[in-house]
Amino acid sequence: MERSITTIRFRLRKTSLALLVACVALSPILAPTAYGAPSDEQRERKRAKYLQLFVTQPYLELRTGPGRGYPVTQVVARDESVDVIKRKTDWFLVRTERDTEGWARAVDMARLRQADGSRFAVDFGDLTGFARHRWELGIMSGDYGGATLIGGHFAYSLNDSLKIDVAASKFLGNATNGEKYEIGLNHVFLPNRRWSPFFELGTGVINISPRATLVAPIDRTDQTGYVGAGIRFYVARRFFLRGEYRWNTVFTSRDDNEEIKEWKLGLAAFF
Amino acid sequence: METRTRRILLMRPLLQAAVIGVLVVALSGCQALRWPWFGRDRQAVEPLETEEQAEQAELDELDRAPPRVIDPQVERRTIKVPKIDDENFELGITYGFLSIEDFGTNPVYGLTGTYHVTEDFFLRADYGRSEAGRTSFETLGGNVQLLTESERQFTSYSLSLGYNFLPGEVFVGRNIAMTSSFYVLGGVGWTEFAGDDRLTYNFGAGFKVLPSDWLALHIGVQDRVFDTDLLGRTKVSNNIEMVLGVTAFF
Repeated sequence: MERSITTIRFRLRKTSLALLVACVALSPILAPTAYGAPSDEQRERKRAKYLQLFVTQPYLELRTGPGRGYPVTQVVARDESVDVIKRKTDWFLVRTERDTEGWARAVDMARLRQADGSRFAVDFGDLTGFARHRWELGIMSGDYGGATLIGGHFAYSLNDSLKIDVAASKFLGNATNGEKYEIGLNHVFLPNRRWSPFFELGTGVINISPRATLVAPIDRTDQTGYVGAGIRFYVARRFFLRGEYRWNTVFTSRDDNEEIKEWKLGLAAFF
Repeated sequence: METRTRRILLMRPLLQAAVIGVLVVALSGCQALRWPWFGRDRQAVEPLETEEQAEQAELDELDRAPPRVIDPQVERRTIKVPKIDDENFELGITYGFLSIEDFGTNPVYGLTGTYHVTEDFFLRADYGRSEAGRTSFETLGGNVQLLTESERQFTSYSLSLGYNFLPGEVFVGRNIAMTSSFYVLGGVGWTEFAGDDRLTYNFGAGFKVLPSDWLALHIGVQDRVFDTDLLGRTKVSNNIEMVLGVTAFF
């Protein structure tokens, strides 16, 4: 039997409809081939986002991950360039001219050069960094008028020896618990020595809450002031130890102010 | 008739050369003479009085900019060095189970923040929240209630130092390799539980996998240890938690 024209037309329409649907569905996959590879301009713009460095040593090793345990899978030859994408601790993720990525050690990166021939300055966390850095972050523990003190602090360096220090801590005693939040100025003498003493002055608020087992617990919030002295010791890499002694004055609503002695020891890092 | 000039030009080459030579030698003396029409516009140089003045003049001469031959029309390009993105901070959420001693095992959720100081060491702050169940004493004793509802809230805070060891890669199928690492950590903090804040020591270990450079999946176990006198005599309470976490580097 011969097919009627309507059937053929219907079939044709169905086929074209199917083709259209397929094209739409596949468009994201086909797009790169349809529009071609990214233009030079696009590639240039992508490049401009990152710092371009040139290899001056015989070769630059690239690893699969940011750590010395990861295997070296590729090398970049002398005079070739890499784009620096990001940094994680002492490792840099770079993209090579062949569009492959890998992690390079900071020590190796320090031997690369910029396009104008100047050396790429890497911030290593060494003794120089200990003397000159912007931020500090640390944890501390100690004794606050007989109670155990736990706290964290961060500091912003105004210059090599003057820092703004912000701390939040919790103290847990036999009779009272509480929190305190403080902000102060920290003056470091001899910041470029391994041992550097410092002097500090600041203010804050303290919230004291007697433990629940005592009768009539009343929470109090008071302003405090402190003066203290301590020492910083550079350990290695980006770490330093910080020990200090503080004289706190709690400005209570009673007749007498409360004097609280405090000492603490902590581990901090600079960056 | 031959003119005199023509006669000179027709002289023999040897004689010609000799005449030119004599002229060159003779005229060279002219430049040594001070001709009155030269240097009229030149200002008379005043003799310098002292040695200092002479020195100063010499220095001035040196300071004077050299004559500019070409005025360069090229504008100097200011090169902006792109800032390198540092990714040492890691923030994330955790969810898992916490076994509170004597109070059963309950879900715990929390927040975690890490600063990676080096590839090996990191500082970490954790916050966790859970709710204690009923002790077996309460369950068996019928109407006995040891703690009120608000006292059953278990909140922990901890500050820890961690160490990454056994860095490596995990392989999923043939084509995917993800960096990974085991870590151990220990620290100090406090726990708010049963109406009191308790000094708490925490230690544990974990495993993390990084599906991409900025994303990490964690599985970790930590023990939170504190002294408690809730059930009569003072004892050490071990509270073990096992959590899964998702964190992002920035």
